[in-house]
Amino acid sequence: MDTMSLLMQGFAVALTPESIMFAVIGAILGTLIGALPGLGPANGVAILIPLAFSLGLSPTSSLILLTSVYAGAMYGGRISSILLNIPGDEPAMMTCLDGYPMAVKGKAAEALAISAIASFFGSFIATIGLVILAPILAKFALKFGPSEYFALFALAFATLGGITGKNQFKTLMAAAIGLMIATVGIDISTGVQRFTYNTLELFEGVDFIIAIVGLFAISELLFFLERHAGDGLKQVAINKLKLSPKDIIKVLPASFRGAVLGFVAGVLPGAGASLGSFISYTLEKRVSDKGEFGKGDPRGVAAPEAGNNGAASGALVPMLTLGVPGSGTTAVLLAMLISLNISPGPMLFQQNADLVWGVIAAMFVGNLVLLLLNIPMVGIFVKLLSIPPKYLMPVVTLIASVGIYSVSHSALDLYFMVGFGVLGYIFRKVDIPLVPIILGMLLGPEMEKSLRHALVLSDGDWGVLFNSGLSIGLWTVAILGLVLPIIIGPIVRAKMKRSKDTVKDS
Amino acid sequence: MRINDRVFGMLMLILAVVYGWEATKFPIPFGGHESVGPETFPIMLSIILGISAIYLMVRPDEDEPWAPVGMLIELGVVVLSMLAFAWAIEPIGFMPAAALVVSFLSWRMGASIARSVITGVTSSVVIFFLFNNVLELALPLGLLEF
Repeated sequence: MDTMSLLMQGFAVALTPESIMFAVIGAILGTLIGALPGLGPANGVAILIPLAFSLGLSPTSSLILLTSVYAGAMYGGRISSILLNIPGDEPAMMTCLDGYPMAVKGKAAEALAISAIASFFGSFIATIGLVILAPILAKFALKFGPSEYFALFALAFATLGGITGKNQFKTLMAAAIGLMIATVGIDISTGVQRFTYNTLELFEGVDFIIAIVGLFAISELLFFLERHAGDGLKQVAINKLKLSPKDIIKVLPASFRGAVLGFVAGVLPGAGASLGSFISYTLEKRVSDKGEFGKGDPRGVAAPEAGNNGAASGALVPMLTLGVPGSGTTAVLLAMLISLNISPGPMLFQQNADLVWGVIAAMFVGNLVLLLLNIPMVGIFVKLLSIPPKYLMPVVTLIASVGIYSVSHSALDLYFMVGFGVLGYIFRKVDIPLVPIILGMLLGPEMEKSLRHALVLSDGDWGVLFNSGLSIGLWTVAILGLVLPIIIGPIVRAKMKRSKDTVKDS
Repeated sequence: MRINDRVFGMLMLILAVVYGWEATKFPIPFGGHESVGPETFPIMLSIILGISAIYLMVRPDEDEPWAPVGMLIELGVVVLSMLAFAWAIEPIGFMPAAALVVSFLSWRMGASIARSVITGVTSSVVIFFLFNNVLELALPLGLLEF
């Protein structure tokens, strides 16, 4: 009952006009960001962080804004999947399988409406899951000592590549690079300068927001240039919506199953939204396929969309309760929290209860806004989607630079941003994943602090890292997370590819 | 070809060694030596990076092809234009600098000259007024200041 009253207090925060306004703005921006190919959710949230920061928004408002953007991006991803057969972001890939065939058959409007409803269900059910699970996990995490935290951070990195990760050593390498960047600057506990080479600008370390915007946004611009992708793609025309309540009822079971599976996949480390939508789709195919899947079955649209949105909300559970994000976008949201001086983790639920519950309540509100926004107004988003990237990407780059510039009004930050952009381009060329780098920069200081605490308490005995059942358990999962993908990864990836190929052939 | 990973692995191995070696030379912090100093964590990192760099050199993945030289030069020019924008934002002012860089980028992405100039000028003017007047974040006027 305690949770209920906290949630009600949260609604009191989320239903103020100001919060609703930010939820609406975030929902619109998020849908746009998700819909535009090449501007994924992580990218979009990253660009908005410095803006929210320099506008001096309160922590609650900025978090409401950015979680709405996050939820909206998950809605938006489906638009380009259905109309262009190009997923706006990776998790939306499975929506292409039945969404695009539906659109080709002249049922684009129905596909969009069904996927919006399924998205709503996915987020709604997963947010309820979040309400139930997060306080329990937070309470449990209070038992964590420094050595458990150190193991937990290791686990976060080990599982970040996910089941579908290609080369575990590249994930490891990326994590090490990120953590190394985090060590630059004055060491907090001893005051020793590390890797600063007496440069004043480096004393406070490298600002991760600049790094995130550079790595994501600027490198994306370079890739667009290289691929000559400036003209955009041809999309399927949209028809007039004809949807009866019967059609909606038909997809409800699929949405429900998808949402639950997606939520579980989102909470588990290393699974993430891509796997969430993949599992939901395959299960739905197994349960209710009568030869229509892959040819435009509405349930094949509903299941992965619900799974994808469920996983997105599920991924917030470890981020809020443990301070360990499971995906790129939640890592960027974590960056937001840290730069607002809020340390996520179990204490968050005690010290900043009104903030956490306000944000959770805002997710319900934002979700409803998104549903209302996405059914009647989908035409407007479709119009915007047809703006070719050659006009859009330069403007987005400009907005990103303005955001970075206005944080501290220094051109040096912009040089750093461009530098990280070039680095990001090179990393992507050699297939080094960017998310572990960012996570390394974010978690580095905390990870080192827990290592130190643990070792100081044990007087330098390294055995302390493995001396409780809990930490041994965490290490085991971490090692499994690192080793299993080497064995299972190729199988899962081949399956995902096969189901995509069969659709192309038919 | 599997040259990318080998070269990159080599570079990262050098970074790991230099980084780890630098870490061993940190001054001893005030208050004496503790079991975990400022160098412990960096040394661990350099070992991890070193191992994965060696793995990358021994078992490299298939290369993603690099762009042809002409494209790489073009990307270089684009990067320089962004750096120039960063430099110009204060002395020249936000609006002219942004208009130039956005027009240039959109021209390089394949828009016609007239349309890219329109995109550049409108976007920079709109963003300037949006930021200065609506969001109240001052952007430098530069040459337009009088």
